[in-house]
Amino acid sequence: MSTPLVELHELRKSFGPLEVLHGIELAIEQHAFVVLVGPSGCGKSTLLRMIAGLESVTSGTIVMDGRVVNRVPAKDRGIAMVFQSYALYPHMTVRENLSFSLEMAKTPRDVKQERIESAAGILYLDALLERFPAQLSGGQRQRVAMGRALVREPELFLFDEPLSNLDAKLRVEMRAEIKALHQRLRSTTIYVTHDQVEAMTMADLVVVMNDGRIEQLGPPLELYDRPATVFVADFLGSPAMNLIAGTVAESEAGPVIDAGDDLTLPLSPGSAVRPGAEVVYGLRPEHLRIGDGPAGLAATVSLVEPAGFETHLHADVGGQVVRVISTERLDAVPGDSIALVPDTARVHLFDSRTGARL
Amino acid sequence: MVSRAERAPHPMRESGMFTAGLRHRVGRFLLIGIPLAILVIWTTLPILWAVLSSLKESLEIYESNTLLPANPNLDGYRTVLAMRGFDSWLFNSFLVTVVATIVPLVLSIFAAYGFARYAFRFRHILLLLYLVPRIIPRVSLIVPLNSLMSDLGLINTYWVLFITYTASAIPLSTWILVGFFAAIPKEIEESATMDGANMWHRLRRVILPIAWPGVVTAAVLCIREAWNEFAFVLALINETSMRTLPYQLYMLKDSMGVQDYAVYNAFTVLTVLPLLVVYLLLERRVVESIVSGAVK
Ligand SMILES: Nc1ncnc2c1ncn2[C@@H]1O[C@H](COP(=O)(O)OP(=O)(O)OP(=O)(O)O)[C@@H](O)[C@H]1O
Ligand SMILES: [Mg+2]
Repeated sequence: MSTPLVELHELRKSFGPLEVLHGIELAIEQHAFVVLVGPSGCGKSTLLRMIAGLESVTSGTIVMDGRVVNRVPAKDRGIAMVFQSYALYPHMTVRENLSFSLEMAKTPRDVKQERIESAAGILYLDALLERFPAQLSGGQRQRVAMGRALVREPELFLFDEPLSNLDAKLRVEMRAEIKALHQRLRSTTIYVTHDQVEAMTMADLVVVMNDGRIEQLGPPLELYDRPATVFVADFLGSPAMNLIAGTVAESEAGPVIDAGDDLTLPLSPGSAVRPGAEVVYGLRPEHLRIGDGPAGLAATVSLVEPAGFETHLHADVGGQVVRVISTERLDAVPGDSIALVPDTARVHLFDSRTGARL
Repeated sequence: MVSRAERAPHPMRESGMFTAGLRHRVGRFLLIGIPLAILVIWTTLPILWAVLSSLKESLEIYESNTLLPANPNLDGYRTVLAMRGFDSWLFNSFLVTVVATIVPLVLSIFAAYGFARYAFRFRHILLLLYLVPRIIPRVSLIVPLNSLMSDLGLINTYWVLFITYTASAIPLSTWILVGFFAAIPKEIEESATMDGANMWHRLRRVILPIAWPGVVTAAVLCIREAWNEFAFVLALINETSMRTLPYQLYMLKDSMGVQDYAVYNAFTVLTVLPLLVVYLLLERRVVESIVSGAVK
């Protein structure tokens, strides 16, 4: 692989006495689509703005194209950024919004014309070029904001929650459009969101952040299948993974998890766990099957959510609420007694003290 | 540009809502119409009175109580325009106003940008101190200013007016502009930065156009301050040819044995007129830029 386009080393950021980023280490390859995801306040925007040059670096380095850019002003980094609020210039028409950066770069008139037309074509803005931002819908404004980034043909695109002001349907549409755009232009992209679905569906590389640290990074499915910590396990996937605290115990069939209240959770026979260890037992909702017979965990249905293709079910198992997804049409109603069969091969075990995967 | 007002649907078109509409309209008239009418009368009546009086004959005002002139004529205006020195008073007022509008405006645009956009030490207290010159009564400044300016040898020069007027206009326009600049979302400016704009470009191409109504408001207030200023010019100028229009208007009272109210009012009207024209022109610009939706 070629050298990474962006490298962050031991990057820290403090606002006054408060440190919000605690040593970020990240390399972003040429042409990658990287999604920074994490709960509100974990420092995603701050990290993105530091890469953009809008926020100063407290310590550590930002390297672009092999050059340390800590002290390069934002306007000279050649990065395009799309803001959550779009931040369009309200006093300029769409055309003027698109051409502003090209004017600043003293782009020749014919090149400017050509770039604007090509961006407008890609983003379906042709008919809107003479309008003012106030005369556009939310989705159209969003596209103008992207067009403004696009005309510059930058090496690096930054997006800070660009879709969070759109309604659900438009969000799904724009998600696909952004992804398609990336597949076509191959520009390196760093995309911030707190929506794990966006992260899963769009990214080549997902970076899960928590409280100013990188919790785990990797391809989306790898993170989904092998979360490194309880936090990642809980954060990715919707409905979220079932997480039940318990102690490893022995039985005739091998190790099991004693979760109290007579609740015993099965493990696959080969599991290498130390009896007596305090663990968190994790199982995704789709890895629980509703059994035909009495075999499995006795449960009481407490909530049924038909979602069309699949059905989401909440069930009470030994005092714990367990989420189940079934692709079969269920005729269960709250109060029904059912048996749940865990797919023991898909169980995740975490150390309950450190949260790390076992 | 499409006016957005045209597209607004009329809320009361449906027939069944006629009485509700009527009540709504009566209510609106009581709440808005009447106070507005009183305000308009309150502000325009003195001007109207001045205009009508300026059209009367010299001594008519002492003889009859009617508002309308019995024999309207422009003699008052002729007398004023024929005064020796009128053109230099007009020129002085004009020059001083132009300088004392442009200079404070430019300075306070930079100052306000700094106050609105940069967090620096003592920012708040400095902004408050900015107001001090306007809190101190102007009259109390006259004696010290006069002796200061005498020592500097600036009495009876344009400089003394440029300096004092500029100094008194800066706090006002800075405060107005800080408000307008601070209201512009930081992200708009940041996205200009990402687009490669330096501070000068951001100010000129992004901040100023968006805050244009604020700039015009500040300009109008600077113009009015300078054009109508009286205390400083009285204290710092004593040569006849260096007077401004308000100063001369005041001098008119003593220079005529019997008060000639026609001339006096004609002078007043001629003094107010340029200001009125400026007001109307600039006010239209502000309303236009707001209505067009260019500024949100
Ligand atoms: N200018 C600032 N001054 C002081 N603290 C700040 C500043 N900007 C951000 N912070 C703090 O830094 C932390 C990270 O903020 P940041 O905006 O990066 O979060 P985020 O992950 O983008 O959250 P969200 O998903 O809500 O946008 C927060 O605790 C926030 O309060
Ligand atoms: Mg954020």
